[in-house]
Amino acid sequence: MDTKEKLKKILIDDLNLEELTPEDIDDNAPLFGEGLGLDSLDAVELVVIIQKHFGIEIKNMEEGRVAFQSIEALAAYIDTRMESA
Amino acid sequence: MTFAPVAITGMGCICAAGNNLNDSMASLFRGMRAPAPPVSFTSNHPIDYPVFEVLNFSVPSDLLRTSALGLHAAREALADAGLEQEMLSRLTVGVCVGTTVGCAISNETFCRELRSGRTPKLAPLERVHRSNPAAVIAREFGFSGPCQTIVNACSSGTDAVGLAASWIRSGVCDIALAGGADELGRITYIGFISLQITDESPCRPFDRNRKGLNLGEAGAMMVLESEQVRTMRRKKARSLVLGYGSACDAYHLTAPSPDGAGLKHALTEALACNGTDPAAIAFVNAHGTGTPDNDRVETRVLAELLPGVPFLSTKGYTGHTLGAAGAIEAVFTAACLERGEIPANAGFSSPDPELERNPVTENTPFSGTVALSESLAFGGNNSVIILGKGETA
Amino acid sequence: MQIAIQGIGVVGGFGTGVTEMRQALLTGTSNRATLDLSNCGTPLNIPAFRANISRLTDYVPLKALRRVDNFSKLALLGAYLALEDAGVLAEGKQERLGVVIASGYGATGITFAFLDSFINDGDICASPTYFANSVHNSAAAYISIMLGATGPSSTVSQFHHSVPSALQTAWLWLAEGRVDRVLFGAVEELSELIGYAWYRQRGTAHKPEMTPLLTGVESAIPGEGAAFLLLTRKEEAQDGYCLLDRVTTGRLLKPGFLSSPQDLLVLGADGRIEKGGDYAQLAEKSTVACFTALYGSMPCGPALDIAIAALMLKEGKTFASPGGGICDFPASVAAGGNILESHRVSCLSLSDEDCFGLVSLAKG
Repeated sequence: MDTKEKLKKILIDDLNLEELTPEDIDDNAPLFGEGLGLDSLDAVELVVIIQKHFGIEIKNMEEGRVAFQSIEALAAYIDTRMESA
Repeated sequence: MTFAPVAITGMGCICAAGNNLNDSMASLFRGMRAPAPPVSFTSNHPIDYPVFEVLNFSVPSDLLRTSALGLHAAREALADAGLEQEMLSRLTVGVCVGTTVGCAISNETFCRELRSGRTPKLAPLERVHRSNPAAVIAREFGFSGPCQTIVNACSSGTDAVGLAASWIRSGVCDIALAGGADELGRITYIGFISLQITDESPCRPFDRNRKGLNLGEAGAMMVLESEQVRTMRRKKARSLVLGYGSACDAYHLTAPSPDGAGLKHALTEALACNGTDPAAIAFVNAHGTGTPDNDRVETRVLAELLPGVPFLSTKGYTGHTLGAAGAIEAVFTAACLERGEIPANAGFSSPDPELERNPVTENTPFSGTVALSESLAFGGNNSVIILGKGETA
Repeated sequence: MQIAIQGIGVVGGFGTGVTEMRQALLTGTSNRATLDLSNCGTPLNIPAFRANISRLTDYVPLKALRRVDNFSKLALLGAYLALEDAGVLAEGKQERLGVVIASGYGATGITFAFLDSFINDGDICASPTYFANSVHNSAAAYISIMLGATGPSSTVSQFHHSVPSALQTAWLWLAEGRVDRVLFGAVEELSELIGYAWYRQRGTAHKPEMTPLLTGVESAIPGEGAAFLLLTRKEEAQDGYCLLDRVTTGRLLKPGFLSSPQDLLVLGADGRIEKGGDYAQLAEKSTVACFTALYGSMPCGPALDIAIAALMLKEGKTFASPGGGICDFPASVAAGGNILESHRVSCLSLSDEDCFGLVSLAKG
């Protein structure tokens, strides 16, 4: 499973997006606001989710903001961090 | 509707700034603060966040620290009011205490044992059961009046004082001990870090570089007294509760409404209680946690509703003491009215161009007799209390 | 001043809503289920009265509930049922509505889940969403957000004294004109933590039925549920249930305090042997009823008693205390199906901290 697929499954499970399937989530749709509809509390939860499932620490929200644009962006961020580790 | 003022005849507090009100006020006006990594517990979080701990305070083994802090402040407040057991036993005395930790049915050691398949003893939970903060005070002094523990997160302390004033006005008790108590602990420490609203440095309310709050712990209590009892025992009021207002943002679980709708509503209601003229407000003891969101919303509302009124946050001296915050800030507000001076807002050095107002940067005398203290809470609660100067100052 | 009860929302072992509660009152039976404690090192179930929250999605889309914990869901269901019962659900934003919540234990399920999050994965993996939900006023916050209730909101937590204490706050808000309506609710959830504590304290030897008026016998079965009341000032009331005549709270209640011995007295006795004697002493010579055997032992039970008393006053008829009302102290237990002769019904609750609450309801 590639990082994007894995991410979608994790988000659905951990953020309780029960009404969605991985296929419903567009790789390039924004995660916050319109799009997936996540908010500020989900943003801090996402930091913990990435830490827990990928062992990657996002130190602050400035760093998170770039990574949290979309599934595409987040998967790219995770892959880069995994390679450099 | 106009509400009669309610007299405050005694006050007490304990926090990182001091183990009683006089010592705490002295620290505030000397600009002293010493937040440091926690001493009473450890965390395997990679960063040590500073906290404001009460050191040199011993807790009986059968009580939660929270309740012991509340009880300590209650003793000081009753002594300050000159109320002795003999007189108290002849009156209907109520207790109203705000808290967060004091009602949490949780204990980490207990839960770890349970999860590791052992069958832990109930002692830690029984301690919680014995330690309901309002009940502990009522039991200690044998009070027979109403007894309530309020859990409105960070506005609990303000709400407790506001409700107790209603108790006195409606005659459900002659005297009410009202305030708040909360201890520092690993669970709240880890929780606030997870929300990413905790500053790695000593907190900087209203500063452009503010990164969040520092947690603290405290107990603070006020004695509210009916006019009938006060007249009978010829006791002067140290301060007066002139107004209280509370409103919910109904916006988000953790974020304040960006336009401060609930805070404006609460402030307007508090002013209306006694027809207080906004121009008469000498200063505002702001919630001022040092989180980017809170301080932005608060200054926006102050600029709109109380332009030109000096304000400060005392959290730079005590940390954010959660359920006790509103109570200790009410006590400081009353004590500053007596003194005719407010302390500098600790932690503020660089004005934030995004904020419309800046807090006082040095100890500042004033001549007014009315002041306001505000609390914004998790869950969108906003509570405001207006206090007047008493007769003794 | 008097307050009117305009709507009731209840959920518990007896079912969901006033109609199912009424049915349980008429038959004297309730659904007993179990609480699973197998994750607590105790491979067993204990009997319990459970609440079913499945009807919540009739009122709130699943999407809006995605991070709402079980405790807050129970509260939301009670809240919507009460508004629907009062016929005000379609009104939209409730700007002059205050929200008052009482809970003896609070959201212990999500509190435990928050601890699990860092016990399992380290302090850095603590879940902020679980933490936010574990704060005591989160149920009140969800209710205010979903209803657009911008009045004050307050949550009270002090074990078995939570209900009368919080109800006094609702009363004062209405009396002082701070709000036009109060949505008052009491909520309790059975979590593993509460279940384990119950098992450790009281063991597994449960009586088949609760007999709360046999005060010398331990017969408590734990329960969970919610009871919500939509309250307004009498002057602004429309067809509702009854009036809330008086709320008296305090400590160290003495026998003889109950000022109107002719009133029907609903006792909060819930089969816990340690409180039975106190109820017996205070209720001597009164006409009593007790309904805890329909919903179980829980700190927010007194709110269900108020709901049942309100229903009796509305219908002008008594309900029988379930289990035949076998009583071992000198009181007269009201029979069911009779005309309610007293003008008032009072609900008495006693807490472990020696606090009492006496909530008196009167015909509207």
